[in-house]
Amino acid sequence: MRAWRWWKRIGRWGSFLGFTAPALLLILFFIILPALQTIALSFTDRQGAFVGLRNFVQVLSDPDTFNLPGFPPGPPPWGSIVHNAVWILLHLPLTVGLGLILAVLLDRARGATFLKSIIFLGMVTPMIVGGVIIRFLFDENAGIVTAILRAVGLTELGRSWTAYPETALPALILGSVWLWVGFSMILYSAGLATIPRDYYEAAAVDGAGPLQQFWYITIPSLRPVTMVIVAMTVLWELKIFDIVYTATLGGPGGATMVLALQMYFYAFRALEFHRAATVATLLTLFTLIVGLWFVRTTRSPE
Amino acid sequence: MKRVGFALVVLMLAVSACVPAATPTPERIVETRVIERTVPVEKTVEVTKVIPTLTVIGPWAGAEMDQFLPVLKAAEEKLGVQIRYRIYRAEDLSQVLPPQFEAKQAPGDVIFMWDWWVRENKDHAVDLTDLWQKEASQFVIQPSTVDGRVYAVPYVLFVKPGFWYKKSFFQKHNLKPPTTWEEFLALLDQISKIPGVKKAIISGDGVGWPLSDIVEHFLITFGGPELQENLIAGKVRFTDPQVRAIFAERLVPLLGKYFSDPVEWTQAIDLWWNEEYGLFFMGNWLTGMVKDPNDLGVFTLPGARGVVGGTDWAFIPKYSENVEAAKQLIAFMISKEGMEIRAKQGGKLASRKDISPDVYPPADRALAEALAKIERPNVPDLDDTVGGDWQRTFWDQLKLLWVRPQALDSVLRTLDARFPTR
Repeated sequence: MRAWRWWKRIGRWGSFLGFTAPALLLILFFIILPALQTIALSFTDRQGAFVGLRNFVQVLSDPDTFNLPGFPPGPPPWGSIVHNAVWILLHLPLTVGLGLILAVLLDRARGATFLKSIIFLGMVTPMIVGGVIIRFLFDENAGIVTAILRAVGLTELGRSWTAYPETALPALILGSVWLWVGFSMILYSAGLATIPRDYYEAAAVDGAGPLQQFWYITIPSLRPVTMVIVAMTVLWELKIFDIVYTATLGGPGGATMVLALQMYFYAFRALEFHRAATVATLLTLFTLIVGLWFVRTTRSPE
Repeated sequence: MKRVGFALVVLMLAVSACVPAATPTPERIVETRVIERTVPVEKTVEVTKVIPTLTVIGPWAGAEMDQFLPVLKAAEEKLGVQIRYRIYRAEDLSQVLPPQFEAKQAPGDVIFMWDWWVRENKDHAVDLTDLWQKEASQFVIQPSTVDGRVYAVPYVLFVKPGFWYKKSFFQKHNLKPPTTWEEFLALLDQISKIPGVKKAIISGDGVGWPLSDIVEHFLITFGGPELQENLIAGKVRFTDPQVRAIFAERLVPLLGKYFSDPVEWTQAIDLWWNEEYGLFFMGNWLTGMVKDPNDLGVFTLPGARGVVGGTDWAFIPKYSENVEAAKQLIAFMISKEGMEIRAKQGGKLASRKDISPDVYPPADRALAEALAKIERPNVPDLDDTVGGDWQRTFWDQLKLLWVRPQALDSVLRTLDARFPTR
């Protein structure tokens, strides 16, 4: 009887391994091993000798990474880490807030599907193309945004935003809000559809107005969706690359440099792969923090 | 039961005797061999000639590509190969090629790339020394070598001769090309005052190289070709008083007043051609990108003894499956015949000495004749020669300088600090 149980257990493990092995092997060889090699590379020099934290010190003391003398109130460049942080600080609330507002406004509205499709177009546009569009949106000669600003008398803002260090980063962030807001709007729309109508009817009977209903029913009910949107958006903001690459190439004067682009320049322009690996390791660390926060939050009973 | 079994065996044996054997018996094999030996058999062998297909990767698109394709067509006819052309900028190739090379793959058989990059990656490039030495004496430009070996060969020349203008625009407004610095400043003033003109000079932008071309022209004009060469060699620093003076006294005062903000350079061509701006600094490939090349005029900054001249560099990756055919293609492209075909299209100048100016279209011929009077028409390009991440920094810092001229000292310090030899 004991032998039978033992064989049964082996059989279960055998089928488990049989079904998962192909995927596990792919993950092992194409994700885990390269990731470990990248981390190892960040602790070595060109000759492969172990150098401890030297690469990290060099990368973090590079003005492209941290340029504190220029930090607000001075204009950018502030360094890639700060630019990424600014991106999160501005882009995240704008995307989440605007996505929620659009989802609520378009919930059950006439022609909502069509309007949502239009807004979602930004998401299906390749980001590399999105970068080019952003560049032209804010261009002095061809841009619609600058034309509108000039038309309303804001002539100072009617110039090419991506040419000036003060306006280049805001241009990219605002442009990326347009590209990304479709994502949060669609998720919120799906979330809204899951909230039972009874809640609103009961609240209305109790005398709650639309704002109170939104605040006390809609927002708490959408909490799990918000968690997903926040986590995905922050991860996207940390690894932002293509928009910056095509719109400004990190300039002018490093005013829009971000971590992923810096990694690219280290690797493919300076041919300093160990420094590129160092930036990659830092990025992994930052994304891990977000990932762990997300896992902990979603696991908690609240 | 035994009887039934016995009957079945007999039946099977009988059936097998009637059916032809699936496999020949040993006797039959011997018989076949004898027949083959005694009866001559005439065989027709079909020989299929395999025509190699070469992939050429270059940076030229649009009008520039149209000017290059006739060369490839001629090569197809002459070499009996098929050639397909793919467009990749050097910036993109620098990303694509390293992983391809690591996998011992090559996306093309002949690739145009920065020469500094090929030198850095020489282990993945075919040695072209023998091919080059046959033609070397005919060329006005020589390749850099690694341990005496050549891995990338020069193709046609581009020059950055100075400020282009429309002859019709100058005639209409009674303007003349300047012969002194003062006349240059007066010209800029005159252009700025013309109704409808936004700024005297439109500044081209892209990844940043059009601005670096302007800066190099100022450096060569006021510091001589030697200054440019010393900067490349790292013998003179960007913080050097001579360099700073050229920036501070000659270039920076013009930036806000006469130069426009950086505008994407192909868009800039249209704006300049529509006479919203008077002058445009660009390389000679511009002749192939305007509606009427015969309306083009160009002048250097007064007193310039040299202008930047460079070339596009071709190399063959080691992992090409058609190395020999690729070598033949490069040999054809840099031959007199191949280069004449390219020169005829305009937009580039031949890098061979034995190409007659008569080959060029009128606008390019005028340029070639004007360049003949310049002491140094092929001063090496500063950022292309230094290369690496410094090149990107140079472009990026100049974009900053263009809109923040007061950041001059910070820009020069950054360029100096990030120079490869520092």
